[in-house]
Order: sequence, then C-alpha cells, then structure tokens
Amino acid sequence: MTMIREFSGTTMDTTERVSNREDVDVSNKVAPTGDKRPRRPVIQARNVDKVYGNGTTALKDATIDIKQGEFVSLLGPSGCGKSTLLRIMAGLGEASRGTIKWWEQDYDVVGEKGRKLAFVFQNATLMPWAKVRGNVRLPLDLEKYVAGDVDKRVEQALDMVGLSRFADAYPRELSGGMQMRASIARALVTQPNLLLMDEPFGALDEMTRNKLNDDVLRLWQENGWTIVFVTHSVYEAVYLSSRVVVMAARPGRIVEDIIIDEPFPRHPDFRVSQSFAQYCKQVSFALEKASAMGQEGKV
Amino acid sequence: MKTPLIKNQGFVQIAAPIAVGVVFLLLWELIVRALGIAPYILPDPVAIFEALVDNWGVLFHALWVTLTVTFFAFAISVVLGVACSLLFIQSKWIEVSFFPYAILMQVTPIVAIAPLIIIWINDTTWALVVCAVIMAIFPVISNTTLGLRSVDPNLLNMFRMYRASRWQELVRLRIPGALPYFFGGLRISSGLALIGAVVAEFVAGTGGAKAGLAYMILQSSYNLQIPKMFAALFLITATGILLFALMVWLSNLALRNWHDSAVKTEN
Repeated sequence: MTMIREFSGTTMDTTERVSNREDVDVSNKVAPTGDKRPRRPVIQARNVDKVYGNGTTALKDATIDIKQGEFVSLLGPSGCGKSTLLRIMAGLGEASRGTIKWWEQDYDVVGEKGRKLAFVFQNATLMPWAKVRGNVRLPLDLEKYVAGDVDKRVEQALDMVGLSRFADAYPRELSGGMQMRASIARALVTQPNLLLMDEPFGALDEMTRNKLNDDVLRLWQENGWTIVFVTHSVYEAVYLSSRVVVMAARPGRIVEDIIIDEPFPRHPDFRVSQSFAQYCKQVSFALEKASAMGQEGKV
Repeated sequence: MKTPLIKNQGFVQIAAPIAVGVVFLLLWELIVRALGIAPYILPDPVAIFEALVDNWGVLFHALWVTLTVTFFAFAISVVLGVACSLLFIQSKWIEVSFFPYAILMQVTPIVAIAPLIIIWINDTTWALVVCAVIMAIFPVISNTTLGLRSVDPNLLNMFRMYRASRWQELVRLRIPGALPYFFGGLRISSGLALIGAVVAEFVAGTGGAKAGLAYMILQSSYNLQIPKMFAALFLITATGILLFALMVWLSNLALRNWHDSAVKTEN
C-alpha cells in the first residue's frame, strides 16, 4: 500500500510538471539528478535547420538546451531528425541555419580539458582487424598528447564495461551486446564530459538492452557525464532519462519536452512501477500526437 | 571421436580436385590408347610425362626465364598499382583524370602493342616485363582503389571526430580495410603476370639463353614435338596454379583473424 501511495503521489506531480514546449521556456528546466546547483549549458541549439542537398528538410527550427549532468533522450518516429540533431551536436554535420554552441562557445572548444565529447554509433562501429583492446585504445592513439598511462586508461575503460577478459578478442568473436560494450568503452576511454549515443541498443535483444541500460545509467552517475541519447523506444527513454524530448517528422522538429521526475539511481523495479507506466503513457501520448502531426505535415 | 577424413575440410579441399584430375588423366590415357590417336595430334599423359623427364634441363631453364619475367612483372605491378591507388584516393580529381588511362591499359590487347614495346626497349627481358606489367597492373589498381574508398562511413566519422590526421586515417583505417580487396586483386594479377609474360614471349620469339616456356611451345610445335609442347604447357599451368595458391595462402595469413573470407567458422 505504501508503495502505491508513493507512486500515485509522484504521478500527480508528474502530470503537473509535464509541459508542452510551446508554453514553457525549456532552457530553464533543471533535470532531477539530485544536484540542485545551477547547471551550465553544455549544448545550446537555437533555431537549427538542416536541409540536405536534395531539398529534404531533415530538421526545422530546433531549439534545445542540454545542461551539465542531464540525461536527455531524443525520441520520435523515423525521419523526425533525431539522429540529424545528434550528429549536429557531435559536429559531424553542419546546421543549414541557426546556431549551436558547445559549452557556450564554438566547436573549437570541443576536445579541451573538461570539454570532451564522445559518440556511440547505432552499430558498434569497431575496426574488425583490431582486437578489442586496440579498438578501445584508438581515440588515445589518435590524440597527440594523452594525459596519464594509456594502457591503464584502456584497462579501466574495459573494466567499466566488464570486458577485461575479452581485451584480446577480435570483434567478430563477440556477441552483439559485447561489441556494443566495446564501443562504449572506446567512448569512455577519452573520459568524455558529453556522451552522444545514437540508438546504441536498437539492434539488441531486450535482456541485453536492459542490462546495458543499467550499465549506462551507472556509468553516467559515477562519472558525472552529460548524455544525449537517441532512441525510438518509449520505455528506454523513460527508464533512462531525466528529460525526454519528443520530436515529430516531416519536417523533423521538437514538439515536447518532458521531465522525468524520478530519483536516480533507478533500479529495474522502476520498470514495473505505476509511475513508470504513467510516464510511458504520457510520453506515448506525446509521441502519437507528434506522429499524427508528421502525417499531416503540420509545422 | 575422431572426425572422418571425408568430413575434414582441409582434406576435402585438396583431395577432391586431385581425384578429378586423376580421373581426367585416366580417361585421357584410355581414350588416346583405345582410339589409337597419333602422338603428334594428341599425346597421352604418359608420353607427356616422359617428354617432361627427358627434356627437364631445357624446360626447367625455360621455366626459370618465364618465372623471372613473371616475378618482376608481378612485383612492379603490385608496387606501382598500390602507388597509383594511393594517389587516386588523394583527390577525386586525380582519380577522375587518370583512371580512364588505367582502363585503357587493361583493354588494349597486349599482342597488339607487344611488338612496339619490344622495338622500343632494347633489353628483351625488360621488354617482356613491361608487357606483363601492362596486363597485370589493372586488377591491383582497381581493387586497391575500391578497397581504400570502401571505408565504413561511421568509422571515418569517428576518426574525423577525434581529429585524426590524413596519415593516421590512411594507415589505421583505409589500408587495413582495403587488405581484402588488395589480396583479391593479387589473386587475379598473379595469373595475369604469368599470362602476360607468356604472351610477350610468343610475340618476341626469343630463343637461346633467354628462351622461355612460350618459345619452347613454339619451337616444339614447329618440330612436331607435341608431347614436349604439352609438357611446357603443363609447366605454365602448374606455375599459374601454384602462384594462385601462394596468393590464397598469403591472403589467409593476413586476414585469418578477422575477415570472413579467411576465418574458419563452425556451424
């Protein structure tokens, strides 16, 4: 009974806190990560458009702030521009219009101490000819100067994702989940401050995905990262995030920004709680609305 | 439990083609004997073997000459071919400007230009090498360029995100990724180097100390020494097969840990 009361209380709060982008200034929201200090913006995107050479508008007027320590999921139907937005955040693509700042500065700041960025792709994207250790070590080998003992950092990264025993295996010898872990370890080894993940667990089975979700949450909390996570799974977005940004397609745009006001660390029990169900319902509703908007082609 | 020999992959790979060869030779021998075909029209395998043993000194020398030309032509094709590919991937402009000329070399019949090359180059051996290079270089250029360009775009993005230099991108990403394509090119190119050497020898018709296997075939056919002609032909084909096998072995050695073409999988 106590559990139910607690959850129902949270649900009421949640309903009040869930907001539509149109009537609330999103950039002032603070995600519930436990730390009440004012958070510095890590990413500030303003009115970002992306139009491809063939005339397709992948992204229209995207404005979003990602603050230090947040775990933000970008959620939306296929073609809503969530990966495009993430790639622009990573500096892998340029905006056709609008501005984007990293740590309140231009992209040149990325890579400096305390301003490191790492990207985890949809596929593990490992070099098949290199062993796991070689793959994880790659970002350090590419850097001109690396602080600390490189081997130690590689071992630590492998240890964090539980792959120490497989350091000398080739990627093809690993399961899909383990390959993804290696990919995450490669991102960790740079000791990033901002981690961008593009549907990293989309191709994995549910059990592996849940396990990796827990691992990412644990690492996020331990290391104080900021994470932007692209997914098309409502459950994954709600379970992981402090904020879920819902996007619509045709053209890709941000339509809702929902705070998941649940404490961290989150445990697997959260998945079967009433408040989780409520959040999922809330997000699903926003997503349905976004999909309907996409079909109608409304901006 | 010990695996039966018939299920052993390595054994089957060697034994099956040998069995086919033995059956073919037996049939050949039987048909020639049964129909009483004259040796100057179609010699039987035993006669060919005898001709091989009787003329071993001359044939081995000719083989050595052909092998030398083949080796140099192949080595030059690999070095020059890879250099061209590395140049092509530096810019699309370079590739677009020069690639048609690489194709031109491939489509020009070597027998048509070999006489010219032999006139232009005084040293016969080098003239033959140049002819064989013209034949063998294209697969190396074509395959290696394709391999160097076929990079996983996400891996390339990652290299660029970590601000890898062009050199790092080439050495750590493009070259390892191109190896399967490169070795595919070597398999074709090794055979073409041999064919190029033989064709050029036919055109040059060099005798004496520089006589290769092609000259042996020509000379034997003029003298109606058909078993000897077949023996020379056998040496050419055997060399071709050995060269191909060597390339497969090299390829497997380089790719055995990671590429599907070389990794042994168990189902």
